[in-house]
Amino acid sequence: MVDTPRELPENLDSFSLSRRELLMGAGAVVLGGSLAACGSSSSSSSSTGASGTPKKGGNFRLAVTGGGAKDIMDGQTIITKPDQARLMTAFETLVVYDTNYVLHPHLAEEVTQNKPDQWTIVLKNGIEFSNGKTLTADDVVYSLNRIINSKNGLFGAAGFASLKPSGIKKLNATTVQLNLTYADAGIGQQLGQYYNGIVPEGYEAFPKPQHGTGGYILKSFTPGQQSVHTRNPNYWQSGKPYFDQVTITDFADATAQVNALQAGQADAMTDLPFGEVNVIKGHPGLAVLVSKTGGWLPLCMAIDMPPFTDNRVREAFRLMVDRQQMVEQVLSGYGTVANDLYSPFDPSYDHSLPQRQQDIEKAKSLLKQAGQEGMTVDLHTTNGAAGMVDSANVFATQAKAAGVTVNVHNDPNYYGDQYLKLAFSVDFWGTRNYLPQVANGSIPTAPYNETHWPPKSGPGSNFLSLYSQALQQLEVSKQTPIIHEMQSLEYNYGGYIIPFFNDLVDAYSTKVQGFEPSKGTLNLTYFGNGYTTIWFA
Amino acid sequence: MHSGGIWGFILRRTLLGLLVLAIVSILVFAATQALPGDPARAILGRSATPQSLAALRAKLNLGQPVLQQYWNWVTGLLHGDLGNSLANQEPVSTYLRPLLINSAFLVFLSGIISIPLAIAIGVWGAVRRDKAFDVGSSLITMLLAAVPEFVVGIILVVLFATVVVQWLPAVTQVPPGGRPWDDMTGMVLPTATLVIAVTPYVARIMRASMIEVLESDYVEMARLKGLQENTVILRHALPNALGPTFQVIALNLAYLAGGVIIVEYVFNYPGIGGALVGGVTNRDLPVVQALAMLVAAFYVALNLMADIATILVTPRMRTTL
Repeated sequence: MVDTPRELPENLDSFSLSRRELLMGAGAVVLGGSLAACGSSSSSSSSTGASGTPKKGGNFRLAVTGGGAKDIMDGQTIITKPDQARLMTAFETLVVYDTNYVLHPHLAEEVTQNKPDQWTIVLKNGIEFSNGKTLTADDVVYSLNRIINSKNGLFGAAGFASLKPSGIKKLNATTVQLNLTYADAGIGQQLGQYYNGIVPEGYEAFPKPQHGTGGYILKSFTPGQQSVHTRNPNYWQSGKPYFDQVTITDFADATAQVNALQAGQADAMTDLPFGEVNVIKGHPGLAVLVSKTGGWLPLCMAIDMPPFTDNRVREAFRLMVDRQQMVEQVLSGYGTVANDLYSPFDPSYDHSLPQRQQDIEKAKSLLKQAGQEGMTVDLHTTNGAAGMVDSANVFATQAKAAGVTVNVHNDPNYYGDQYLKLAFSVDFWGTRNYLPQVANGSIPTAPYNETHWPPKSGPGSNFLSLYSQALQQLEVSKQTPIIHEMQSLEYNYGGYIIPFFNDLVDAYSTKVQGFEPSKGTLNLTYFGNGYTTIWFA
Repeated sequence: MHSGGIWGFILRRTLLGLLVLAIVSILVFAATQALPGDPARAILGRSATPQSLAALRAKLNLGQPVLQQYWNWVTGLLHGDLGNSLANQEPVSTYLRPLLINSAFLVFLSGIISIPLAIAIGVWGAVRRDKAFDVGSSLITMLLAAVPEFVVGIILVVLFATVVVQWLPAVTQVPPGGRPWDDMTGMVLPTATLVIAVTPYVARIMRASMIEVLESDYVEMARLKGLQENTVILRHALPNALGPTFQVIALNLAYLAGGVIIVEYVFNYPGIGGALVGGVTNRDLPVVQALAMLVAAFYVALNLMADIATILVTPRMRTTL
């Protein structure tokens, strides 16, 4: 079956203060100190009134769509949403993001960038894997090597492009040093991506034994159907987790998920269809969780393929969009208007760039100047994530006003050989901060560069050198002006039409406490932060 | 009657059935090959980087020529080996077996309830023609025949599981390693949906066939002989009315095998329907082939049994074998 709506296997990262301050967790503004040591409260800085004292016990049943026979369980990669849900039961990262998209130390005591091309990781003491083995530097070395080994084809490899096996050095039992091949300020954020979990030395994916540092131990797993995870009595955060068991069931259909929730056969579900929101709200024992994330569904114009080689055409297309209407029609209102720029939560995001509005007259005149009046263009899309097909159709309708005919092609085999080679297409991304997003989609070596940015000559051609410069800055304050310049180039000359940021909408039984709206990519508050910050009332 | 007659018939039909299966296997293979994209891309989806694709392709042995793959599969099948699923590298038989048992149980349960029920309704309606029961049941069967299965399923869920009352589960949960009969409450609504889907058709055919038989000469003769009405209906009319009905029954049982997939979606029932859809999406040829052969074999077997049953109740036909 096709991928389920809003399946967003993307990473999420955030940096709100100087990297050094934040990650050292000492003397940092607001967050660092109190979170360097694990406490009984959640790792979220905004732990707003979680009602009552957490009670222990119970079997938490999660209903997820998007899986099938190809379900996997791997601490360091995912393909579908159930894979995400399962990874989070057992595996954790050195640093984690909270609901405000701020990074905190987790398995690590500190993660510091000493030099532009060197990072140091210091582990906390006394953390054990579920098989009793103590977490040491050897495990971190093995974990990183496994991720960057291209033969493994793991999701996080692209983010560690600056790290080679020879650069990973164990200094002592709890310290690892990373010597990069070039300056890379993004490493800390990569270490916080949920799919870069820390695994024990010698680890391999399911069906081999799954031992992680997380709250639960895998008891049974039938791909495409159900997995059962039991409480890890050895979990390093004392007092947690609260559930005795977590059961994750694959669902083929969203309606069946909602029915299960209503009948009391599930405690939470991912990706509630917008049409069912009122049904859930009307039900006394159920609640809806709306998270305003930085996820986006861009229309991608390849800047080196006609007709988009002319920037006037690109600008015209960006002006044709009625963004508010897009939010209403594609997302049923569950989203925020965007400005053709990504990474809204990045501290360096340039909010001063004026919000683009629809301007049909200007669009028409630009097209006329470019000799493209009344043009026709093909737009390719697929059912990859909720909204991808609707975005294309709504855009096609809006384009008519400017005299442009858009032929929408819904390709079932979209992520096939034509992907990334199309002049005009739709894609999807999750929440991500600026520099990691650039690494994944806006430079020639990025794995998903739909727009073929940056241009080889003319305005924007210095983007790559600006990026290198940004990577070399240790302080956010020094990065910001460079990032502003990069964003200005993308704003004026780039190939993305980004009409909105979409929300994540989930549903759950009110018997479960601890869910909070989250800015990150994962549903249900990062699956209850690995099912450790949620409990039955 | 020559005993060679009916056994010879069965032999001939079985061989024909095997030929049909062979043709089906070729067609399914060709159709799956014609689908764009290869299994590695289909499985990895968007997360397919050149490295992960290469790694998976090597693992799945996709480099072999198409005919070679087909031949490998056929020889494997003849040895009882259905190959490995491309999506999760498990043996297809291991992967499909529990799902098959689940689906087969659902079809079986629906069949043994719906067919006798439909026959009873049809016969009673014909015997009490144009009276209250007949008029009422005709109306209801026509209504239910018009409603699509998934609508029936959803209405049942709303009535009994979520909105009106909460007596029954809305989704059928068969934990891995478990069996659907471990929790029969979970079987009620899916079975009811399929029964409602199938009964109307069989009941109406049964009624029509029975009405025709009740008007025939030999039934009138039986009555004139002074036989009890019950004997006339059950011993003389019914067996003759059943003959034509067997074909429809076979058709509807076969329909059940396909209807299962809709029910599986509505109730999240872990059966072969989801496995088939997933198999096609993943271009998982071994899984698709295995399921196609299974369903085709089921159809062929059902047709054969229907023909045999028809012959058995129609002595006249046995002499022409």
